[in-house]
Amino acid sequence: MSSMRPAKLSRELARKVLEGYGEVAGVQCAVLFSSDGFEIASHAADTAASARLAAIGSSLAALGTALAGEAGLGNFERTTIESDGGAVTIMRVGSSRSMSLAVVAGKDAVLGQLLWATQRCCQALAKLLDP
Amino acid sequence: MSRTETGEFKIVFTGPMGAGKTTAIAAISEVEPVRTEVENTDRVAHAKESTTVGFDFGRITLADGSVVRLYGTPGQVRYRFMWDILGRGAAGVIVLLDAGEPGALVQLDVFVDAFIPHVAHGALVVGVGRTDAPNTPSTDAFAARLDARGLVAPALSAAAREQGGVMARVRTPVSIHGSHSAHGLPA
Repeated sequence: MSSMRPAKLSRELARKVLEGYGEVAGVQCAVLFSSDGFEIASHAADTAASARLAAIGSSLAALGTALAGEAGLGNFERTTIESDGGAVTIMRVGSSRSMSLAVVAGKDAVLGQLLWATQRCCQALAKLLDP
Repeated sequence: MSRTETGEFKIVFTGPMGAGKTTAIAAISEVEPVRTEVENTDRVAHAKESTTVGFDFGRITLADGSVVRLYGTPGQVRYRFMWDILGRGAAGVIVLLDAGEPGALVQLDVFVDAFIPHVAHGALVVGVGRTDAPNTPSTDAFAARLDARGLVAPALSAAAREQGGVMARVRTPVSIHGSHSAHGLPA
């Protein structure tokens, strides 16, 4: 049954993909997490922070899935929370519902760049999942 | 007192993973419940295939016409932030526990500690399932645990799938709330 277990993904390879965020202006940290809120890999986040981000991110992805379904709009793809201090984007990885990526960016980030970089990162992670 | 702005009551179902929160809401809701279940990858914590990571939402109308909004929380402690969001303004909190799980009495403390601040003006009800399993604490053991903490809260036994049992738990906080009694408050 559980063929989509995130354990199949190499955490080390995933972490290498996330390192690409070091090149994206304004990005503070990134956490890849399972749909039930466990951190799989992270970039620039300490253990406690990435665990919390993984749990909250998984709730938002699940609520996004519920809302898209309720509105008859198909599958959840991403959601972006914008605040006065920056933005957090949460994007589904690949076509599976098994994991998502949360990226935190400060005010100095350009939203379009953040979304573009995150989309590319999710595509690279999806390739790791299903080579 | 704790009616929501629309004059409806809010009841929150909480308790550890696998206690039957999603099932209980589905058993009594008169609308198709909102669910946020995903695959459970932590089979060490519980063997079930899916787990709620956002919240459940359902709705019932009682015989007197009161509308009760039903919310179910995730059970894992890492979703504690959702407990506080969902607990706010609750007229009642129903803690569901599986007596057959090891540490069920300790779990009672975890959820009572987390939700007591939210039910200062409402009621706390404890629903215990599988008390008939061998070597499990009885409903009385849960009641004694609450009593030892100076809490007056009913501990009821019922299976999550039994509509009558779930309804008894929902009516309890609503009726306690309606009569402005001090049930569920620290004595």
